[in-house]
Amino acid sequence: MTRRRWLALAGALRGPARLTPVDEAGYRKLLEAERGQVLLVDFWATWCQPCRVELPLLVKLEAKYRGRGLKLITISCDEPEQEADAARFLAQCQVKGPAYIKRAASDDRFIASVDAKWSGALPALFFYDRQGRKARSFLGETEVAAVEAALGKLW
Amino acid sequence: MRQAVSWLVAALLAAAGWGQEFKLGAKVSDFTLKDVSGTPVAFEKLKGKVTVIGFIATKCPISNDYNERMKALYQDYQGRGVRFVFINANGTEPASEVAGHAQQNGFPFPVYKDDGNVVADRFGAEYTPEVYALDQAGAIRYHGAIDDSRVAARIKAQHLRQALEAMLAGQGVETAQTRAFGCTIKRVKKAS
Repeated sequence: MTRRRWLALAGALRGPARLTPVDEAGYRKLLEAERGQVLLVDFWATWCQPCRVELPLLVKLEAKYRGRGLKLITISCDEPEQEADAARFLAQCQVKGPAYIKRAASDDRFIASVDAKWSGALPALFFYDRQGRKARSFLGETEVAAVEAALGKLW
Repeated sequence: MRQAVSWLVAALLAAAGWGQEFKLGAKVSDFTLKDVSGTPVAFEKLKGKVTVIGFIATKCPISNDYNERMKALYQDYQGRGVRFVFINANGTEPASEVAGHAQQNGFPFPVYKDDGNVVADRFGAEYTPEVYALDQAGAIRYHGAIDDSRVAARIKAQHLRQALEAMLAGQGVETAQTRAFGCTIKRVKKAS
């Protein structure tokens, strides 16, 4: 078994950590708190197959550019019943960055506050530059090569 | 001339699959689906006093969470003149899979295939599940989610049921549009 597989297995066996709930206000605060880094925010869910394919690739992308200031933040859009599964999948993917779970009083308001053009479809990725400005949105299934190309314009 | 250019642009957008043709409040024109044996079926033959168009999936966990609720809706409203037209527009889910899924889940209603997601494009449907309630004239009176929670125990608003009750009573639908949620419809890639 390769080292990577051992680490993934260990992560999965370690069991689920709790995800931090986030609403509209919390989202604004977390963006503020992370200002100075290039943020890649990934909205995903355990039931979303394209999200599950994409997330490990985003983890690799973050590892490649972490030294230059890229930080991956994941926000699960799962129901509370799937939180443990979400945490287990994040551990399995060896996600290093902060992990949140969407808990908004109104999904419509939360989604509109993130991006007016976003319908809530998953996966959804948002790049924020070092000044905390939203620089690029990827709505729906996206090739990670396109994400990396967009990242190249943010340094 | 200007009208001709507008028509050309609309035709090109529709051909490319980008144009949503059926809007809330507007009447839908006829469209054709296929039953799971591949026989074309015109919407005109399926519609009733009130018609529910529902885009659903076989593999989407959210859509599958609604299987029992869809059956309950059918049982509660079919006898009151509501017709249900459930459609699978996913390019990744062939008719044989749709038929098997319907059988396994004991659906009392047929599920039709929308090959090439032509009908989904005309409605502008994005998700499974996503529903539209049409009146007798074929105008869309409600569009959006079946209800407001994937988890049945947390439902606070029965959007589709409220719309159907209002329509059957000859009243206006109070909440005519909600945000549908679920898996995205897996569209076929069309040549641009």
